[in-house]
Amino acid sequence: MNMHKIMSGSFFILAMTVNFGFFYGDPTILIEHSSYELFAAIIVNLIATVLKLGDRTQLGAVLLATSIVADIQLIASATVWAFAMYVMSSVGTEAITAIISLSGGALLANIVSVILFIGDTLKSKR
Amino acid sequence: MNEQIIWIVLKRLRTPFLVIIITFAISILGLVLIPGTDNNGNPYQMTFFDAFYFVTYMASTIGFGEAPYTFNYEQRMWVSFAVYFTVIGWFYGIGAIVSLIQDEALRKALSTNSFRNQVKHINKPFYIILGYNSITKSIIDRLNGRDYRVVVLDKDDKKIDELILENFYPDVPAFVGDATNQKMLKIAGIHQKNCAGIISLFEDDMVNSKIATISKLLNKKLDIIVKATSQQQLEHFRSMDLKHVKNPFDIISKRIYYGITAPHIWLLEMWMYGHILKLKKRDHFPQGKYIIYGNGRMGKAIKEGLEKAGVEYVIKDFDSQKYIQDKNTTIFGDDDDMESLLKLGVKESSCIIAATQNDLLNLTILNKAKQLNPKIFTMARENALDDLNIFQASKINKIYIVEKILADATYNYIARPLADLFIQEARKKDDEWAEVIVHMLNNITGMNPMYFETRLNDDNAYALTLELQEGENITLADLRRSRADRNELLHIVFLLLKRGDEVYLMPDSRMKLEIGDELLIVSDEENYDDFEYIVNNIYELEYVLGCATS
Repeated sequence: MNMHKIMSGSFFILAMTVNFGFFYGDPTILIEHSSYELFAAIIVNLIATVLKLGDRTQLGAVLLATSIVADIQLIASATVWAFAMYVMSSVGTEAITAIISLSGGALLANIVSVILFIGDTLKSKR
Repeated sequence: MNEQIIWIVLKRLRTPFLVIIITFAISILGLVLIPGTDNNGNPYQMTFFDAFYFVTYMASTIGFGEAPYTFNYEQRMWVSFAVYFTVIGWFYGIGAIVSLIQDEALRKALSTNSFRNQVKHINKPFYIILGYNSITKSIIDRLNGRDYRVVVLDKDDKKIDELILENFYPDVPAFVGDATNQKMLKIAGIHQKNCAGIISLFEDDMVNSKIATISKLLNKKLDIIVKATSQQQLEHFRSMDLKHVKNPFDIISKRIYYGITAPHIWLLEMWMYGHILKLKKRDHFPQGKYIIYGNGRMGKAIKEGLEKAGVEYVIKDFDSQKYIQDKNTTIFGDDDDMESLLKLGVKESSCIIAATQNDLLNLTILNKAKQLNPKIFTMARENALDDLNIFQASKINKIYIVEKILADATYNYIARPLADLFIQEARKKDDEWAEVIVHMLNNITGMNPMYFETRLNDDNAYALTLELQEGENITLADLRRSRADRNELLHIVFLLLKRGDEVYLMPDSRMKLEIGDELLIVSDEENYDDFEYIVNNIYELEYVLGCATS
């Protein structure tokens, strides 16, 4: 077990859990979803992505792909929020559901990468 | 772009990215958490977007002032911390990217990549030359861009820099790499379809043999030209089925043999290498006793040539390095040396050959011999090409430059295959035959004729191939008629005709031509131009043929 594996593994799982924390709740009520959690989800996801940069293995490439997808979804979610709040000057139900479902998509990507990560770990055990 | 480069870059960028993300995250989070005061004195909390906007321009040191409202002291304290924190992050990131550009591994990967691309984009047939030195340089000078292109590999990066400074046109892709390394040979394009061959003329026979073996394994169709300096090595290469083994000492040995026994064959060979087609007085090898100084590879080769020619000789064992060490000089000629010269019989001998590995010693040996016997014929081995002037000034009858011989032989083999073939065929004939040929060439084309090689195909002889396809009977004699007046003859001689594997030396002028015939033509520039007009232009050809049929 090397340090880098522990780091990237924990960040993958953290990305998923934090994202879940934001996603969990009524998808039409914004107050049930904390903006701090979205921020944390974005940062943790970015870190997880960077940790996978330059990994030449097949699995590394797929993990990088899934976390790039999660990044895109989460940043899109934050962008919709900022756009609704400052440009449209009201966060309506449509905007709220968009924010939450975008993060839901990111959560799926996170789950995929965690499954891949677990699968690889199990496979490498004899 | 090569895959490998992307991976190197991404891996190196990992830490700088992490640092920038974390510094940004902490700064943004701090700004969001600290309560602010708006213009009316009401408390407010920055949103993530406000904080992100502010940190973005603050961290990159653009700086627009305080937004959305003037900061209070808590915020300013946090911002003054964040300024230093994020700026350090940025600087580290930029520094890491700059050092990445300078990174040796990345630069190497990038230059390997560009070399690989350069080789890939060569669309003519090309030769891979291993090792860059004066021999290979002269081969490149003459070969590059005419019918072939060249790619160079050398272990020494200084040599490669030297090559790049030469500014060859067209460009010669060159790369630093061990020629005995399979991977390097692959990058140099050994597997490419248009790779014509590989030239390995290293001093070390072992290296040549290793390269020949690897190349043979990698690409069977390859034309492998290697240098061999010993008999065993030669046989080893022959057993590997390599046809083009170049042994400079063997060439010298043969030249001496023919020079003594058949001077006109020698003359024809030398003419193919640029000598004028006339046997001068100083070209005649003398009869009588020969002295060879130096029993190295060159000395042994000369000995072989002399033995075959049946000439009396003495060979003196002479180690130039030992001599220099013992006497601490490169000037030959103290009393001991004079005595040994006299002992060898310099006064009764007709020729002395200095074949040591030191140029200055070779010169001084010949000078001393000349003092003792002014009539003696002198021959020297020259090792370094830059001393050419001294050798020319010192009036030596014959100079053998091993490097030049090797370069010439290799070039002729590649670019003038018919001339190479002609020499081989001529050697099978006797001197009388050669004398007749020389006189004939002198009579028809003058003292200093040029020779040209052509193949009768669409590209080189458009009109002629058209006529031949229609089933016309065209003989060599028809092509010799002048286009100005068809009753006149052009001053050209067909020296050799190659049809498939068959070789016709001095082909009969009644011989009918076929498409694909290769011709070795002796002529001058003007007459050869006429010949080219005739075979390429339908009207010219019909005029010339019209005479033949009428």
